[in-house]
Amino acid sequence: MSFSTFRERWELFAGAVLSVAVGVALLQASMLVLAATGNPQIPPGLSRQEQDEIREGFVGAATVMGMTAFLAMFLAVFIVSSTFGFTVAQRRRDLALLRLTGGSRAQLRALLLSESLLLGVVGSVLGVPFGVVAQHVQTWLLIEIGLLPDGFTAPWRGWAAITAGVLGVGVALTGVFTASLRAARIRPLEALRETGKAARVMNTSRWLFGLSAAACTVAMVVWAQGTNLIGALMAALGISMCGAVAMSLLSPLVVPLTAWLLPSGLVRANLREGVRRSAATASPLIVLVSLLLGLSGTFGSLAAAGGEEAKRSVNAQLVVTSTGEEAERLPAVEGVAVASRQNAVDITITAEQPDEGPTRYYSGIVAVDPADYARTHHLPPSAGNLAALTGTTVFTGPARHGDGIIPGQVLAADAGGQPLQLTVVGGLPETLEAGDSFLLPRAALPRHVWSAAPTETVVQVVPGQNPADVADRIRRQGFGEIRTVPEWAAARARQTQDGNVEILTVLMGLAGLYALMAVVNAAVIAGAERRREFAVARVTGLTRRQVIGSAVAEAIAVALIGVVLGCVVAGAGLAGIGGAVRKAIGVTVVDVPWALLAIVVVGSVAVVATTTGITAAVTTRQRPVALVTAGE
Amino acid sequence: MQLHQVTRVHGSKNTGVAALDNVSLTCPPGTWTAVMGPSGSGKSTLLHCAAGLDQVTSGRVLLAGHDITAAPDNVLTAMRRRTIGFVFQTFNLISSLTAEQNVAFPAKLAGLRVSKRDVRAVLAVVGLADRATHRPKELSGGQQQRVAIARAMITRPAVLFADEPTGALDSASAKTVLALLRDMVRTAGQTILMVTHDPAVAASADTVIFLADGRVVDRLTGPTTHDVAERLAGLES
Repeated sequence: MSFSTFRERWELFAGAVLSVAVGVALLQASMLVLAATGNPQIPPGLSRQEQDEIREGFVGAATVMGMTAFLAMFLAVFIVSSTFGFTVAQRRRDLALLRLTGGSRAQLRALLLSESLLLGVVGSVLGVPFGVVAQHVQTWLLIEIGLLPDGFTAPWRGWAAITAGVLGVGVALTGVFTASLRAARIRPLEALRETGKAARVMNTSRWLFGLSAAACTVAMVVWAQGTNLIGALMAALGISMCGAVAMSLLSPLVVPLTAWLLPSGLVRANLREGVRRSAATASPLIVLVSLLLGLSGTFGSLAAAGGEEAKRSVNAQLVVTSTGEEAERLPAVEGVAVASRQNAVDITITAEQPDEGPTRYYSGIVAVDPADYARTHHLPPSAGNLAALTGTTVFTGPARHGDGIIPGQVLAADAGGQPLQLTVVGGLPETLEAGDSFLLPRAALPRHVWSAAPTETVVQVVPGQNPADVADRIRRQGFGEIRTVPEWAAARARQTQDGNVEILTVLMGLAGLYALMAVVNAAVIAGAERRREFAVARVTGLTRRQVIGSAVAEAIAVALIGVVLGCVVAGAGLAGIGGAVRKAIGVTVVDVPWALLAIVVVGSVAVVATTTGITAAVTTRQRPVALVTAGE
Repeated sequence: MQLHQVTRVHGSKNTGVAALDNVSLTCPPGTWTAVMGPSGSGKSTLLHCAAGLDQVTSGRVLLAGHDITAAPDNVLTAMRRRTIGFVFQTFNLISSLTAEQNVAFPAKLAGLRVSKRDVRAVLAVVGLADRATHRPKELSGGQQQRVAIARAMITRPAVLFADEPTGALDSASAKTVLALLRDMVRTAGQTILMVTHDPAVAASADTVIFLADGRVVDRLTGPTTHDVAERLAGLES
């Protein structure tokens, strides 16, 4: 029975197999890359700084891959269960027929479960070669964005394929389990009705899970308002996933409502009638849109908020970039009240932590004039006082806030060959941007260490002077890069966001394609099942073109509904992050990714419309009379 | 097969429409009863209630000696496997299975061993010996209906329910199908309850009962096509 059904309804089962296979592939690839990043391959002949950078890149790659694996798992569960649930719903009449000819409930469940076991196994096996491809793509992306060195390869590990495969089969079985319980309640009488009218779409479990997911989402939005930024980031991911689940479970309520917005006619009637079908197409779109826009909006908002915070933390008008030597001329320029020179010096600081052993820091070490620094920066220290930053002392910066380096501790430093013992006298609080690692008095360092160092000078203009005039005067002194504080802050935000976009590409690139594939899948399954309906419409007097046209119009409406619902979820995520940002820096900064939104709207509508159009064209190729009159 | 004062109300009990109103009916073993009546008279509901596919609102339904009025699903399933069979206007074959697989399917579900020879033999009885490996799509309407009858024959059910069994067939195929049904009653002593709106088809039954607005309004034994048509015309006028 199982085997012969496969042959008959290949669109249905090809879709199901593919959804398992791609999910397994993504999971396997992420696990393989993740496992390989645990053991960094450092090319020989590199300086300590370069080695350190590569090591950091590996840690970053591991984090991204961990998140990707998590996301792949979520998508696999979501997409496979929604696809399998749809395949069961589409075969209501067949299943009722089975009951009519004497099949028991247990047999029906056994049939569906063995079917999904078969699909799961086939999908998982196919997933292995797919996974190798996915792994190449992920590795390539990670190398492209610079997290992993050139020539990185993740070795093959059998356990990853087995784990992913077992999960794939498990997901297929659990995905079909609730659907099979529901299918077992199909009454044999339904086989006798002409169209096999689908059951109530909003059944109890749909209500229950939909409402609890919605409640969870709202709770997370509220919780995010009062949490720190890491919490908000987690909440944003949680809101995107949980909200997407809620929206797709509850979408059968919304789709018919939105149908009222359309002019009356076949399209509107079909939308209200084919609720199950519309919901199946809309679900993966909701997930895709909410994750893509939610995550990108979250990252974007954090970057923008970081820029905003940087702008507010500085009590100055201009930022000049130069070398340390050149910057020494800035205080003398007419109209400059304070010029806080901040040299990014190339020295090594070693912190001996009791339980971790020595940690070496190479970057983010900034030499300052403590008095100038204090006059141009608002950020109050979380410990100690900048005035104490004299002699051989050091302040921990925002980036090292959480590292447990406490005032009174003595850190060893190597400043261009000269050993120093730096006493920690205070620290700055954590900021949205990672920020600097250490601040130390320039006077403690030999001149050659800071004279050539890349230097940012924060310039406070004499009250009453026009900052633009002062900037002109500085430019005439031969300084190249002079920016106003807002420009400088925006550039920093942009730089952070560029990095975010790269990470998002790795995270959502393949996962997004997976969700898009699920959209195509649902559209094909939905279209293929409407062969008879299309034929009836044509016999009633519609041309083939009109039938295809109305199917496409309906699909576009469903796609738009999916996108809108996804946007609602993404909006909830942004509300959460907005609240957290407000708590952190006092103003609400929210970045709506308009460009991405436009791409997503156009892209998903195009994909759904094209797929539906092609499916409708293929299913209406036969002469309609042949289909309408054929008994079965 | 017996119905005792069966009422079936669609919708809520107080405001709903009674599709069957206090209907009592007995079909003794080895008889063929046809149910006739205008559209909406409750013919199909009667059949569904008698077969345990639909729950009655009040009254009792007995099938092959068992009271199935409130039988749980597993009892009804067991009955569908062994005691009752169905033949419908839309043939209700499983489209992915071949003719012989379709015939053997209910027996397989019941866990019974059916030899290929038995299946072929039944298909030969309905005149489809050479079509055993064809799928429903490759068969004509009459052939599909004969496969459905073969499916109902193989388990030798005590009661066969037929809903417009010839409704989608040409007259030659219809004759073949009716002859097959008559054979089942005569040789195997099976009981048939058949719903139809065609007087000629009803005339092949032993008894015809007429329904109107959910009530039994008339009954004919040993009917001719002419008698049936006349009574029906009387009902509809």
